[in-house]
Amino acid sequence: MIDARNVRKTFGSFAALNDVSLNIAEGELVALLGPSGSGKTTLLRILGGLEFPDSGSVLFDGGDATLVSARDRHVGFVFQHYALFRHMTVFDNVAFGLKVRSRKERPSKAEIAERVHHLLSMVQLDGLALRYPSQLSGGQRQRVALARALAIQPRVLLLDEPFGALDAQVRKELRRWLRRLHDELKITGVFVTHDQEEALEVADRVVVMNQGRIEQIGTPTEIYDQPATPFVYQFLGNVNALPCRIRGGQAEIGPLVMPAPSYAGVADAAGVAFVRPHDLLLSRPGEGGGSFAVVRHVSVLGAVVRVELSLGEHIIEAETSRQRHAELELAPGQRVLLWPRQARFFLRDGWEGTTLESREELARTSAML
Amino acid sequence: MAIAVEISAARRRSRAVSETLWVKGLLTALGVAILGLFLLLPLATVFGEAFSKGADAYFAALVDDDALAAIRLTLLVAVIAVPLNVVFGAVASWCIAKFDFRAKSLLITLIDIPFSVSPVISGLIYVLLFGLQGWFGPWLRDHDIKLIFAVPGIVLATVFVTFPFVARELIPLMESQGTEEEEAAVVLGASGWRIFWTVTVPNIKWGLLYGVLLCNARAMGEFGAVSVVSGHVRGVTNTMPLHVEILYNEYNYMAAFAVASLLALLALVTLAAKALLVWRFSREIAADARQ
Repeated sequence: MIDARNVRKTFGSFAALNDVSLNIAEGELVALLGPSGSGKTTLLRILGGLEFPDSGSVLFDGGDATLVSARDRHVGFVFQHYALFRHMTVFDNVAFGLKVRSRKERPSKAEIAERVHHLLSMVQLDGLALRYPSQLSGGQRQRVALARALAIQPRVLLLDEPFGALDAQVRKELRRWLRRLHDELKITGVFVTHDQEEALEVADRVVVMNQGRIEQIGTPTEIYDQPATPFVYQFLGNVNALPCRIRGGQAEIGPLVMPAPSYAGVADAAGVAFVRPHDLLLSRPGEGGGSFAVVRHVSVLGAVVRVELSLGEHIIEAETSRQRHAELELAPGQRVLLWPRQARFFLRDGWEGTTLESREELARTSAML
Repeated sequence: MAIAVEISAARRRSRAVSETLWVKGLLTALGVAILGLFLLLPLATVFGEAFSKGADAYFAALVDDDALAAIRLTLLVAVIAVPLNVVFGAVASWCIAKFDFRAKSLLITLIDIPFSVSPVISGLIYVLLFGLQGWFGPWLRDHDIKLIFAVPGIVLATVFVTFPFVARELIPLMESQGTEEEEAAVVLGASGWRIFWTVTVPNIKWGLLYGVLLCNARAMGEFGAVSVVSGHVRGVTNTMPLHVEILYNEYNYMAAFAVASLLALLALVTLAAKALLVWRFSREIAADARQ
């Protein structure tokens, strides 16, 4: 449905997008996820026709739309700060896209009124048609913006940080509601977010972006379980990043030795192991496998227990259940066996200077964990 | 934006005052004294002198042929100069606030030139350019076009001097509003013309009106630039301020003050309209701030 091919865009000397290609299928809801400055909003604006790429092309339903202006592109765009017309009522805001059509295509006044009221009831704003934007709450404004974008029956709905300016509670409600709305309308949608939870919860597919490039495209499960790059590992969820040595198909993290068959050909190289806290199994000496580690600190956080351990000179964070915590009777100073259920290794040479922001950044992160 | 600043200043005033009573009283008295001495007293004098020989003489001075011609000319100049500057100012502010281009700071500087150059100099420049001995003088004479010492020159000088008023008022307003609403409108399929009239203009209308008010007051009151290019032909190229000067130089004080009282009245009306706008505008600004 939407096909972006080798898109590049620079602002002055800053490369906002660097050879980005992305394919979005009909009816799909895609999240563009990344830190600020990763180029996600630029990509969205290029899809919407509000920016034009320096090179590369954008195709809509197979037809080249690269140079088609936003006016003729027929997309719905929801802005981060809503951009409602402040001097118009809610009704006039939603009706705007229909009223500005040429006389031939414009629906009659009655039809416009009917469609606006239908949209307003869909976004649960019946009865607020005559209010002005300044008289609405943030969540209500966001829904007006959505109704306004949907009024022109766009081919695709583009949302720029749709929940960014709302407080946590409203945000959660609104994103479930958006997901339901998408499932009902079956409209193709792309939204930009820097919130991983939002991306994983709402989207069918997540596009992780960093420094103007796409790091990984996949379903939320794929992205979370099989991160393709160290950046994705660190950006999504909590992770232990541990310096290790990779020798002949094995990875050594201090005293802990794990199989790393994909690096069988590597004789001896420095690497980094990524292990999720909840992938670390803890057991009593004699009851399981792994290496000895010493418990440094235990904190109970609701349903999970966070355990800080030292493994040789490394400090590792593990997560375990309340029940397991009770069985093991974890306490600072205690020796336990530690085994990662799964881990991923990256050679330092392989990613240095490409995907992770800097080695210092990594050092800081692993020191933090 | 001047209006916004005044409003926020008015809001702050109540909280900022922590001085003792007598300091407050002294400062207020000082303020009132200065205001009275420099603003109210001259104003009273103008009207006092104007009516010094009674109301009949006052009105007689106003319906004098030359006075009427001056009033007509002043109105004509304002009617031409103000709309022109509304268009120029709106276009220039639109360009500066909504687009990014290389010569932007140059354009902003150009807009400010009439404020930084003495009006007499700007008038003189027109004389040097379009006067008989000026650069374009011979060409204009050959084509029988008379700019200097004629009405077109007066209009030109007035347009130049009053150019910054509308633009200066609109640029900060438009910049603070950003381009998101226009972008939203274009994505919804609106044409540039439609966006300008249905989205941009309603958002800037109060600022625009304020700019027009100031522009108009200056267009009617301008003396320096107009004085240089007018040639002071009674009943033909004399605007009200110039007519006041002529009458005054002829020791016809009463008539001079009578015409001057009209200009003073204009200033008062402008002031009242401005106050009304601030009052009207404050609610919309508060609404915008809540958004």
